[in-house]
Amino acid sequence: MKNRLKVLRAERDWTQAQLADALDVSRQTINAIETGKFDPSLPLAFRASRLFGLRIEEIFHDPALENDNHSVATSRLGRG
Amino acid sequence: MDELKPIEHVYQSRVRTSVIRLFRWCGAWAATTALMAFGPRFLWSRGSGFTLLAVGLDVVVGIGVILANKHYLDELDELQRKVQLNAMAITLGVAVIAGVPFSVMAAYHIIPFHADIMYLLIVMSLTLAVSNLYGTWRYR
Repeated sequence: MKNRLKVLRAERDWTQAQLADALDVSRQTINAIETGKFDPSLPLAFRASRLFGLRIEEIFHDPALENDNHSVATSRLGRG
Repeated sequence: MDELKPIEHVYQSRVRTSVIRLFRWCGAWAATTALMAFGPRFLWSRGSGFTLLAVGLDVVVGIGVILANKHYLDELDELQRKVQLNAMAITLGVAVIAGVPFSVMAAYHIIPFHADIMYLLIVMSLTLAVSNLYGTWRYR
């Protein structure tokens, strides 16, 4: 799963430690999520969503799902 | 820039408190285990009621260690809990995979010494420590 956590954090000029405190997790967890080594649980994703004031899908997105949507759109275009 | 509240390190201080509590319980358990193991030899005569008392004390403090460990795991965040779960799974596997052949070899005198439980505890402790270090390094 990909995410925009690092970008959103940088836009707000927050450190990993500050974001970790705000989300009540360790700095290591924030780093692992940002680098794509670890996918957060739904409750943690909701906390991030509340903190940034964005919908979950605006922060986290599934590349496989995007590929599927792209394939469906392409096949529809092909048929049309 | 959106301002965050001042850093309170709530998570870190909570985990630190639970680690200190766990260490204290482990220290107390080591002390009661030593009392149980060496008391009958050095402090009182073998077979006396003191030995049963020491065993009972060791079990009670041991339950305290288990509860403190559970509390520590509850305080961890999801990634740290995953690292701990992986480490415990590897430790359990190693204990079974290494323990059974070790016991069989001792029974058939293939190894020249008694298969004491302490060897298994040492292997488990080392495995848990290495697995934890690996997990921490993997997600660093």
